[in-house]
Amino acid sequence: MLLHILNRSPATSRVYQQALVSMAPEDRLLLIEDGVQGALPQLVRYFDGLQGRLFALREDLVARGLEGRCEASVQVVDVDGFVALTEEAERTVSWY
Amino acid sequence: MSAPFPSDLLVILRHGSHGTNWLREGLDAALVAAAFGRGVSLLFMGEGVTALLRDQQVGPLGQKGTSATLEMLAMYDIETLLVEEAALERFGLTAADLMLPVRLLSAEAIAAQPGAHRLVLTF
Amino acid sequence: MRYAILLLGAPYSCQASHSALRFARALVDRGHRLETVFFYHDGVHNAARLAAPPQDEPHLVDAWVALSTEHGTALQVCIAAALRRGLLDAREAARHGKQGHSVEAPFELTGLGQLVDLGLSCDRLVTFGP
Repeated sequence: MLLHILNRSPATSRVYQQALVSMAPEDRLLLIEDGVQGALPQLVRYFDGLQGRLFALREDLVARGLEGRCEASVQVVDVDGFVALTEEAERTVSWY
Repeated sequence: MSAPFPSDLLVILRHGSHGTNWLREGLDAALVAAAFGRGVSLLFMGEGVTALLRDQQVGPLGQKGTSATLEMLAMYDIETLLVEEAALERFGLTAADLMLPVRLLSAEAIAAQPGAHRLVLTF
Repeated sequence: MRYAILLLGAPYSCQASHSALRFARALVDRGHRLETVFFYHDGVHNAARLAAPPQDEPHLVDAWVALSTEHGTALQVCIAAALRRGLLDAREAARHGKQGHSVEAPFELTGLGQLVDLGLSCDRLVTFGP
C-alpha cells in the first residue's frame, strides 16, 4: 500500500487525475495544502471510489477556514497523523 | 511482499520541454541514477508525453531543450520508456510521432507502476 | 525509521517549504530520524544565506539551520540546480570568479547521486513540490 500526497485543488488543476490513475486499489490519498479543497462536499466527487482511503490534513483546512466544511467521509488527520500515514505505507508518491 | 522489483527507480515526467525546467531536472535525476548503476524506468504522463515528440529544436536564445538528453537514454541503459496512452490520445498523437520506441500503458497498467519500484520521483 | 525529505518548492513562493518543515518536526517528534533534507529544482532557494524576510514571517532558512543543529539532519543542495540559480558556496564562488557567496554550512552543495542513494537507502522519502 502506497500513500499518494496531493497538494493541488481539483477545482483548478488536473493533477488529481494523474494521482488517481496512478493509485493501486488499496493505495491511500492524502490531501494537503490547496489539495484540501477536495474535501469539500462539492468537490469530493472527484475522488469517488476512495471511500475509507481519502485523508485531508487538518492544519491546512484550519488555515483556510475550511475545517468543519469537510465531507464526513474524508478522514481528517493532524500532522502527527500525516507521519503515521507515511509509516503505514511502503512508500509515498507526491503529486503537485 | 509481492513480485521482485523490476527496477530501482521510477521517474514520472509530467512536463514538456522549454516551458519549465521540470523535464530537464527530472531527466538529470534519471541519468545520474542510471550512471550509478541503478535500474531506471521513465513514465511519461499528461503533458510529459510531448517531451518525446520528433523535430524539437533549441529555443531562440539557445535554450537546449531536452531532445539531446533523450537521445542519450539508451547509452545509459535506460530502455524502459512508459507512456500514458490516454495522454497521447488527448494530444492527438500516436507512438509513431515519438522519437524513441515506447511501451503504451493503459490506466490499469499505470496504477501498477509505483508499487513495482523501490523509489518513485515525480517531476 | 530513517526518513529523508525532498523539497522542490521555493520559499515564500509556495507552501512546500512550510509543509516540509512541519512534517520534519512531526516525524522527529514521533521518534524517527530525519537523515537528510535534499533541495532540488526551485527548492535550492531554501539555502539562500541572504534571505531577509520581514520579522513577523517565519524565517525558513533559519528554521532549516535550527533543524539541522538540533537533530543532525544533513541539508544537501543539488549543486547543478543551485549554480544555475545563483546559489554558490564560498568554494564555488571562488571557482567561478564571483564575489561573495550565497550558501554556507550547514547547507552543503552535493551531487544528484546523493538524492538517489538517499531515496533507496532510507525507509521513507517524502517529496514536497510547489
